Amino acid sequence: MNQPARVLRMSYLVASLAGVGFFVLSVAWLGVWPARRLAEDAKRTGPGHVVALTPSEARGRVIYAREGCAYCHTQQVRFTQADIARFGAPTLAWETRADTPHMMGTRRIGPDLARAGGTRSEDWHLTHLYAPRSVVPASVMPPYRHLFAGGSDAPRQEARDLVAYLETLGRARELAGDEGEARAATVSHTHMEGLTPSPVLNPHPARPRRTGEVPALPANGDRARGEWLYARNCAACHGSTLEGNGPGAGGLTPRPTNLAEHTYTDGRLAQALWNGVSGTAMPAWRDLPLADLGALVEYVRDPRITSQLRHDRTRPAQGELAFGQRVYEANCAQCHGAQGAGDGWAARALAVAPTNFRVQRLWGTAAMRILQTGIEGTMMASWRSRLSGEEMQAVAEYIVQLYRDEQDLRAREGRR
Amino acid sequence: MGTVPVAPRQTGRAPVETSLVYAHGLAALVTLLLSVTFGIIISIQLWAPDLGAGVPALGWGRLRYAHTQGIMLGWLANAFFAFLYHAVPRLTGRPVTSPGLGRWLFGLWNVAVMGAGWVLVLSGVSQPLEWAEFPPVVDVLVVAGIVLALIQFVPPFFSRGLESLYVSSWYIIGALVFTALAYPMGNIAPELVPGPAGAAFSGLWIHDAVGLFVTPLALAILYFVIPVVTGKPIYSHFLSMLGFWLLFFLYPLNGTHHYVMSVIPMDTQLAAITASALLGLTVILVVANLLLSLHGAGVFPADPGLRFVVMSVIFYLVVSIQGSLQAFMAVNAFVHFTDWVIGHSHLAMLGFASFAAAGALAHAWPHIPGARYNARLVSLAYWLLCAGLLIMVVDLTVAGLMQAQLWQSGAPWTSSLEAARPYWIVRTLSSIPIAAGFIALLAGLLTGPVTRPPAAEMRAAA
Ligand code: HEC
Ligand code: HEC
Ligand code: HEC
Repeated sequence: MNQPARVLRMSYLVASLAGVGFFVLSVAWLGVWPARRLAEDAKRTGPGHVVALTPSEARGRVIYAREGCAYCHTQQVRFTQADIARFGAPTLAWETRADTPHMMGTRRIGPDLARAGGTRSEDWHLTHLYAPRSVVPASVMPPYRHLFAGGSDAPRQEARDLVAYLETLGRARELAGDEGEARAATVSHTHMEGLTPSPVLNPHPARPRRTGEVPALPANGDRARGEWLYARNCAACHGSTLEGNGPGAGGLTPRPTNLAEHTYTDGRLAQALWNGVSGTAMPAWRDLPLADLGALVEYVRDPRITSQLRHDRTRPAQGELAFGQRVYEANCAQCHGAQGAGDGWAARALAVAPTNFRVQRLWGTAAMRILQTGIEGTMMASWRSRLSGEEMQAVAEYIVQLYRDEQDLRAREGRR
Repeated sequence: MGTVPVAPRQTGRAPVETSLVYAHGLAALVTLLLSVTFGIIISIQLWAPDLGAGVPALGWGRLRYAHTQGIMLGWLANAFFAFLYHAVPRLTGRPVTSPGLGRWLFGLWNVAVMGAGWVLVLSGVSQPLEWAEFPPVVDVLVVAGIVLALIQFVPPFFSRGLESLYVSSWYIIGALVFTALAYPMGNIAPELVPGPAGAAFSGLWIHDAVGLFVTPLALAILYFVIPVVTGKPIYSHFLSMLGFWLLFFLYPLNGTHHYVMSVIPMDTQLAAITASALLGLTVILVVANLLLSLHGAGVFPADPGLRFVVMSVIFYLVVSIQGSLQAFMAVNAFVHFTDWVIGHSHLAMLGFASFAAAGALAHAWPHIPGARYNARLVSLAYWLLCAGLLIMVVDLTVAGLMQAQLWQSGAPWTSSLEAARPYWIVRTLSSIPIAAGFIALLAGLLTGPVTRPPAAEMRAAA
């Protein structure tokens, strides 16, 4: 009886040691060893130097951590085709090598944020954090009002810190540039087998871009569907009456355009929808089907240009136009371009591109109003102190007649 | 092999600290109801997201932290402690180390860990690490608590020599020892190791929390309650020990399956996926042994404690097989990040673990002199919980598949939110029977006739 008991005791001792050994093995095999491999990977594929977080960005990261953002948003683009298609190039080891603690995340209620930087404008972020549904009606993201002093236009330092942090997401990869991508391409991850790489680093469908090819939208879109889509996607900012006064508009600079006092060419609208308006909160809508974009164009093109507004249209005399042109050439052409196409020599340097008057026109007294007030959040300043009333009137009349829409022109000709 | 223990020892019982069983049992249910409340609020916030707007402590993220930490450290740990106070003297024939130590442990755990942990997390002091959201100060206290628990519960086992240990005893010792090792690793390492390497440690802990803390203690309960209630030995001591060692070898190697298709080296992922598959097979073995040990007691035995325990065994089987499946790359690439996984974790924590814990309380309660016990309410709790859990898991699983489908399709993100909305509402509705079930369980332990434990126990306790 004694002998087997001792053997048993020995075997239990051995098994217990083995158990602890296995735990140590697990930590070594699944923790320490991959950590070393990842460090090597990061060294090989990453740039020598990664910009550290500024104090503000670092504080923002702490807020992101304590509010549990990482439990709705991952910060890792996985090596799967669906992730690559939606979020772009998979996250490499070096991109997050300074993140302590990591916030890779295991759940997505909202989208991945590994490339959130440079995707949305600051005013969009602030408005979104203050009241997510005021810019994205279908959102289920919680509001973070305690980061603000009573409104999306009154962010506390905490809100600014948080947005500053969001802007760092994906920054290092972006800064690594072509050289970084070349190095990334050498990553021979077994993961990558059979995956089609993303053509762009960040294919976020809402990311605005200054230029970029716009696909042809189907003509004669379904206006009723356009109206429905507008209510779901656009009314939050542009307002249900299209006057640029939706619930999300208050904190945005520049404010959402008053679409009701504009006429646009189809091409201009397609461009605004496909590329967004760079430098503003206007997102791009590349995730909507082309038919839906066509329907939106149909609805927004010439929305409610009331006969009243049309009537306000003055028909300037030839002499007045020449005067307006002189004022224009002296004051406006460097931004808005000699022909009004928004391509003046100074245009490229501006965060928000100057308006191309040939593809959109203002009605009524809107142009005059804008000349007096300027457009906050853009380089379009107020001209009140620099131009006389007469000059402003003349140049306002000059720019609206620059509008060139073949279709529209023909229609007007017919009406005459 | 007359010494091989095939059932918990039923003779030579040592005094049981029944007041600590009672105290931890009630603390378990109170922290449970609070944790469930947190869970219900965040489930509502998914379809009414402005609920609690402007009150930072009611923010989704902070409540989400409080919810899972409360379930694991409040409800499950307290219920496990209650079970340990009931079971350890019965398994060893020895009293626990010290009733005074027990009071310290109780206070430390419920005031300093749970109370302080919740207050800190809700006021914004936390770690964004899954199953490790309490901040490092609280982590230190948790580790202190685990050490106290080791001192309290483990020495009695060694008084008789290892060869006479019943399988539940092994699980108890294993759980406490390995939690003491894994907890600091999982809670501290990611604070020191940056980036994906830190995530590798997080992955280890996410699985160790379930595999080395919750599962072994739940299995200790299952292996304890089944033979005691049926009055028959377990089917096979050999299988039970084989299962024990396999589980303790395999669970820690699962961690990285939480980061499949990530940048973490592929060999590591493959090792974890392989371990996950083997784990599924092992669980089939363990569950077979448990079910055969029922010796025909049926799926719905009359004893409420045993009934909870049997359902726990069934959930354990289902959730483990599901777990092995979703570790496979093809499945994981599809369902990861969706509500499918949330369904899985509720099946594990609310199904397997909570049913085991509820079974332990229902089983231990009538042995507490002076406690009240209402078997009908406990039985009602069982049915309510079964119904609620079933609705929730089916609902979340379907929702997850649908989200996965929409994400693959390239549709705008918001379409996955709109499609999930009805499912999220149903999930909140499923919490009504669940909350009612837990309230019934608490009521069942507070009302009804005063229990009269068998005379033998009264003598032993005296
Ligand atoms: C309950 C889950 C949830 C939480 C918590 C959450 N979000 Fe979101 N978030 C979402 C959802 C859903 C969306 C997508 C809809 C939208 O844009 O609002 C989103 C979108 C976003 C976006 C825009 C993403 C894009 O595609 O451009 C950003 C940025 C963002 N969240 C940041 C945060 C930050 C910062 C926090 C923490 C302070 C946070 N989120 C917390 C659910 C959440
Ligand atoms: C987050 C708020 C927001 C949402 C949502 C939004 N917009 Fe905009 N939109 C803006 C802002 C801001 C501008 C830019 C104003 C400026 O350039 O001064 C703008 C500009 C535009 C322009 C270009 C106007 C011009 O004068 O160049 C069009 C057209 C437009 N939006 C249409 C839409 C449509 C259609 C939708 C829905 C699919 C939509 N917007 C959704 C905020 C928004
Ligand atoms: C420094 C460059 C700059 C100069 C100079 C400038 N603009 Fe602008 N202008 C802009 C920018 C930028 C916008 C804003 C575009 C936007 O909001 O999307 C703008 C917008 C406008 C708009 C509003 C168009 C619309 O459809 O909403 C009008 C009208 C306008 N400018 C007229 C003028 C006139 C007339 C002058 C000369 C007196 C002038 N601008 C000079 C940069 C300039």
